[in-house]
Amino acid sequence: MKRQAVLASATALILGLGLGSAQAQEKTLTISVYAFAQDEYKKMLYDPFEAQCGCKLVVETGNSVERLAKMEANKANPVIDMAVISMADALQASRAGLIDAIDTAKLTNFDKLYDIAKDPNGDGMSVGYTFYATSIVYRTDKMQIDSWADLLKPEYASHVAFPNITTNQGPPALFMLGEALGQNTPDLKAAIEAVAERKDDIVTFYVKSSQLVQLMQQEEIWAAPIGRFSWAPFTKLDLPLGWATPKEGQTGGMNVMVLTKGTKNADLALQFMDYWLSTEVQTKLAEALVDSPANSEVVVPDEVADNITYGEETASSLKLIPSAVALDNRDGWLAEWNSKVGQ
Amino acid sequence: MMQKILAPLTLALVMLFLIGPFAIIVAASFSAGDTLAFPPQGFSLKWIAKVFTVESFRQSFAMSLFLAIGGTIAALILGIPASYAMARYRLPGAETVRFMVSLPIIVPGIIVGLALLRYFVIPIGLSITLALFLAHTALILPYAVRVVSASLANLRSDMEEAAVLLGASRLGAFFSVVLPNIRGGILSAFILGFVTSFNQVPVSLFLSGPGVRTLPIDMLGYMEIVFDPSVAALSSLLAFLSIGIVFLAERFLGFSRYV
Amino acid sequence: MFQNRAEAYALALPAAIFAAIVFLIPVGLLLSEGFRSAQGWTLSAFVDFFSQPLNQKVFLRTLKLGVMVTAAAAVIGYATAYAIVSLPPGAKGRMIGLVVLPLMISPVARTYAWIVILGRTGIVNQALMLVGLTDEPVRFLFTETAVFIGLLQLFLPLMIISLISALENLPKDAVPAARILGANWFQVFWKIILPLTREGLIVGGTLVFTGSLTAYITPAILGGSKVLMLETLLYQQVTVANNFVAASVIAFLLIVMSFSANILLRRIATARNRK
Repeated sequence: MKRQAVLASATALILGLGLGSAQAQEKTLTISVYAFAQDEYKKMLYDPFEAQCGCKLVVETGNSVERLAKMEANKANPVIDMAVISMADALQASRAGLIDAIDTAKLTNFDKLYDIAKDPNGDGMSVGYTFYATSIVYRTDKMQIDSWADLLKPEYASHVAFPNITTNQGPPALFMLGEALGQNTPDLKAAIEAVAERKDDIVTFYVKSSQLVQLMQQEEIWAAPIGRFSWAPFTKLDLPLGWATPKEGQTGGMNVMVLTKGTKNADLALQFMDYWLSTEVQTKLAEALVDSPANSEVVVPDEVADNITYGEETASSLKLIPSAVALDNRDGWLAEWNSKVGQ
Repeated sequence: MMQKILAPLTLALVMLFLIGPFAIIVAASFSAGDTLAFPPQGFSLKWIAKVFTVESFRQSFAMSLFLAIGGTIAALILGIPASYAMARYRLPGAETVRFMVSLPIIVPGIIVGLALLRYFVIPIGLSITLALFLAHTALILPYAVRVVSASLANLRSDMEEAAVLLGASRLGAFFSVVLPNIRGGILSAFILGFVTSFNQVPVSLFLSGPGVRTLPIDMLGYMEIVFDPSVAALSSLLAFLSIGIVFLAERFLGFSRYV
Repeated sequence: MFQNRAEAYALALPAAIFAAIVFLIPVGLLLSEGFRSAQGWTLSAFVDFFSQPLNQKVFLRTLKLGVMVTAAAAVIGYATAYAIVSLPPGAKGRMIGLVVLPLMISPVARTYAWIVILGRTGIVNQALMLVGLTDEPVRFLFTETAVFIGLLQLFLPLMIISLISALENLPKDAVPAARILGANWFQVFWKIILPLTREGLIVGGTLVFTGSLTAYITPAILGGSKVLMLETLLYQQVTVANNFVAASVIAFLLIVMSFSANILLRRIATARNRK
């Protein structure tokens, strides 16, 4: 390992390449976020923040696992200052020593947060900024969904897109499926097996939820488990679509903010987090159906509340997989999935 | 006789297969609907207009343009002398040189991107932009060498030998005799290199960072977020741009002779 | 021919050294990682890789699709290229232009078009139902068929162009002469066209096969996680599992496959020629 690093450095030096990227004169904050609704975020969050702090925001997008893998690769030389990732990924990042504790005293909006968002993993390393329900979007004219298990009915399965195990929605959906099958063990074995039996019928195991809008519009699929945050584009389709309320309940997740270990812009990053958690920004994002608020002072009209995951009561009713359980079983799920469903 | 019907039929079907998807993309660019669909729902220019308002497209377009132009120029600066040496000099190991510079065509791009990320970008902090520039230059190099070599092969060598015998320096002979005669080849290499670099995906897949992305990677990323026809609109605009460039090059320079 | 060796090296070496540093060294290091372990050199990473049924399947699928796409491109390519070179010059130029056209279009867009075309409500299914070949829409998306079609469309132009330049060099009267002498089309192809155009087939075949192995967008978009290929598996191993050893193994397999394809095609073509 060492020798190849030396070799690589030597070759680069021979080429006379500049080391390190040029530091911009202006203060910049590099953030890493989910790759959805960037137009809205820009308008409601990034632009106003840039105007306020007199700094420049550089945004990296991608899904949670991908970005976590990048953080891990760049551990010695952190590229990003703060990231928003899933709760379980935050715990993994914390165990891998990629993130720093968040000094919540510097967040003026911290006290306004719902209690469950204040320290989701109980380790002081992350703060929740939004949560979402995960349920099933489906064609109300083609099918009836009363239970998570209905997705696998022979007449429905060939019109279903199921989340891949590597996505944020995959494990929660399997968790609820296990619940419906009455065999809910942390290894998700029964649920994975049930999906495996229908794997040839199921249209695709999706990785990016945005693709589902196109598939739904083309009638390629009739149903898919999704997070509430990706619901908005479906409402614009000219199709009879519903949000299922299965008898086993809804699952979901919380997304959290983390601070990269070794960042030189910790104060600026905290300032950005605080702004994101403010009542003003959280209200705007909620009204645009982007993020359901974690700030308890946010008040939204009913028609908005009906389309997001609003209120602490709703949030606490979600059946979530605890981060530690998710983390301890992750490799096992992936192996099980790959051997049963993947092939 | 069969051939009289079969040949046009084959051609028509194959062309439909090759051009059809492009037609759908162009049609979708002018759609009034919110998703990619065929036939398009109504007519509007809103997606074409939207392309110009997406800030990340502007940034990544500039990046791709820089890589395509800069990379091609760098590849030519390296490739022209190498081609000249292989064509005009008794060069022991010429085959090794030829093999080395043509490697980037055989080795899958994704591996090159990953290797640069793993051994240059991460351990020694080489900037992503520079890594992309190096990778794209390496990728274009084989094309530059191949096309320039082909036009050198068509050029008789006795002219420059005569010039040297008459007292011109070898460098002088190169600039006054050789270079003007392979201009067309160089331009063809430029266009070929430009198009290759501009549409390249696998090499750039791992080489992206906050604010640094090539256009195709950005388009792919955008498609993953929103499924509206603006990427179709962008692709049509780019396609017409490339077609225009190639058409002009063909018109004025007889580009296809060199490829 | 100039004799000055120092001058020749001064001209040729910068390009070779550049390729070595930017290319050979990092790629070599990456490949070597698949053969290294804490105990020294080993093949255990390969054994591990192939011990998983999913990986075996992905490897075989990649090989199979590569061969199928190359074979289909060769058959269609010969027919098309032959039809094109028989055209009068003006029409020929326009046809070649049309063949090259798709290469100018971003592969991202070209692949997405197939999602629309091959969908349940897409034109292919509408046509199939119209002529009564099927009552129910056929599922194409996220199947090997979709990936096959996407790859073929992506790489067919390369085969056609390689074969056109090869067929141009075929003596004009060779085929009519053989026909007059009573050879059927099969014999004409096997005995005359193939031996005389083998260079074109080798170049085209290598480009198509290597291209199919290493395409990322097409299997990612048209195949998804149900139709993983080596390239998409590699991406997944790096971005999701952070498993660089598996990535090195896949990289090694991809390179070996493209080199072998080139050698094998060369063999086949020259063996035919010797007869």
